[in-house]
Amino acid sequence: IERAAGTLSGHAVVTPVQTCETLDVLAGRKLFFKCENFQKSGSFKFRGAFNAVSELASGSGKSPHRPQIVTYSCGNFGCGLALAAKIQGATAHVVMPNNSAECKKQAVLSYGANLVLCERTPQGKATKLKQVQSETGAVLTSGGEHSDVMAGHGTMGLELLKQVPDLDAVIMPTSSGGMLAGVSTAIKSSRSEVRVFGAEPEMASATADSLRTGERRPLAEDPGSVADGLNGKLGALTWPYIRQNVDGVFTVSEDEIKNAMRLVWERMKLVVEPSGVVGVAAVLS
Amino acid sequence: TMGDLHNDGPDKVTVENVEKAAERLAGHARETPVLTCGTLDALAGRKLFFKSENLQKSGSFKFRGAFNAISRLITSANQNPPPVVTHSSGNHACALALAAHQLGVTAHVVMPSTAPQCKKETVRGYGGNVIECVPTEQARVETMERIAQQEGAVYISSSQHPDVISGQGTMALELLRQVPDLDTVITPVGGGGMLAGVSLVMKALNPHIRVYGAEPELANDAATSLAQGKRCPLSYYPETIADGLRINMGPVAWPYIQEHVDDIICVTEDEIKNAMTLIWQRMKLVVEPSGVLGLAAVLSDSFKAREQEAKNVAIILSGGNLDLLKLPELLSL
Repeated sequence: IERAAGTLSGHAVVTPVQTCETLDVLAGRKLFFKCENFQKSGSFKFRGAFNAVSELASGSGKSPHRPQIVTYSCGNFGCGLALAAKIQGATAHVVMPNNSAECKKQAVLSYGANLVLCERTPQGKATKLKQVQSETGAVLTSGGEHSDVMAGHGTMGLELLKQVPDLDAVIMPTSSGGMLAGVSTAIKSSRSEVRVFGAEPEMASATADSLRTGERRPLAEDPGSVADGLNGKLGALTWPYIRQNVDGVFTVSEDEIKNAMRLVWERMKLVVEPSGVVGVAAVLS
Repeated sequence: TMGDLHNDGPDKVTVENVEKAAERLAGHARETPVLTCGTLDALAGRKLFFKSENLQKSGSFKFRGAFNAISRLITSANQNPPPVVTHSSGNHACALALAAHQLGVTAHVVMPSTAPQCKKETVRGYGGNVIECVPTEQARVETMERIAQQEGAVYISSSQHPDVISGQGTMALELLRQVPDLDTVITPVGGGGMLAGVSLVMKALNPHIRVYGAEPELANDAATSLAQGKRCPLSYYPETIADGLRINMGPVAWPYIQEHVDDIICVTEDEIKNAMTLIWQRMKLVVEPSGVLGLAAVLSDSFKAREQEAKNVAIILSGGNLDLLKLPELLSL
């Protein structure tokens, strides 16, 4: 994670931490919002994507060809990867469900990546991924299941420890678990007394269920939460870090997510997508 | 009605006043972040630095002027400070109510009936007393004068009070620290308090910095005034989605603007909507239509044609108070 921070330096934004007195009163505690909506490509996923592309590019340093990377993404990782690849002179292929948010498709295209739309089914996804890999030789980089991605995301934990004096708890949305695995590792390695929590929609509570039973539990295919970025499966690679480092996972209703969005837009003047406010919803629950 | 005032009396706002204002605001107003966006730099053809006053207390830069003015009022009052009163389309109302609440003073706020619902609710939430009036400048002023007399309240203008102008000027001091090699600053202009305060500080501390105002074409009284060399207020209340800028540039702000501002750029309603879309979608910031005027101006053909040299341009995003439910209508081109 520290090495990833060096790789990201000068490329990823050290995003500001914002506060809001109205929300402190509602929550009954001091809240510090790390604004990854301001991150390059519009989400924290740029961190993991950039680190992964960088490791891949340095690994294939002797090859004359542009490194080719392919991923499957509901949106944000695809955008992050597309931009990271553009900056580093690699080619990104993003397989995305055909009913993804239009702005996410446009962002991928605007960064010069190859957008490949697929059916939002396991077969649809697998078929297109295999097709791209066989046609281009692209390396598969999963948004969640990749240690370089987790390390990149973990850099947020390092920044928070510096930016928030007397930090005693951190909470973040979680789905496949890349952010939660990386950030919890960063925080617990340095200050094990800081509590680390995940936050999930009730409709997509795989991580909460897994922590409760001690075993990685599968998620229903496409649970359909308004938090459209959190409908993914808890990954096999991220799960051991989460089981070891995370103190708990809170679940919130769809209405709680919508209420939190309203508060963040209206009181904090920040444009944050539904998935992005799940931590806020949890803190207010 | 207020006649035109000259600015060489004891009420003249100087850099020293602004520096004192900065001391009063320290620990109360936010030193808002300056944010950048690669996509917008590419569209503008230069580096843009966005001073994000939508993130300021009460949701707009107006908190600065309001807090400074009430602080000075309290200092000069012998015993119990009087209540304060103002008329405002929204942002000054919210700012005054919050500043008054934090300083333990009662605020009476006259608001046009057409002001965004969230602004009225915010004022009440901050403990302010809202008095509604019909949406004309005359009605605002008459209602305010009546309340001032009734309640013994001191009028704090949204843009024409010297202490308000000083408070707004503190943004310039921060920009000079936050943006290395700053060469251009652009702010929206309504009543002119921000443009007056920011321009006088910039020209006093670094006269090489070019200072622009940005105005809706539909409410172009400040641009006309600068071109004519005399204040030319509009005789009607103009329609523009930039609801915070419908007010005429005022007589106290005018002399500072005439002396220190290099030009005022006018933009169309579509240019405002386009700028809104860019800021919301690319920068992920909630900024109201009045607040994006600076970006609309920088992206306009006329700015690009005349400003070859501007390399590091600070744009003040003045506020983010708007009814979210009106957003689809605001963005429809």
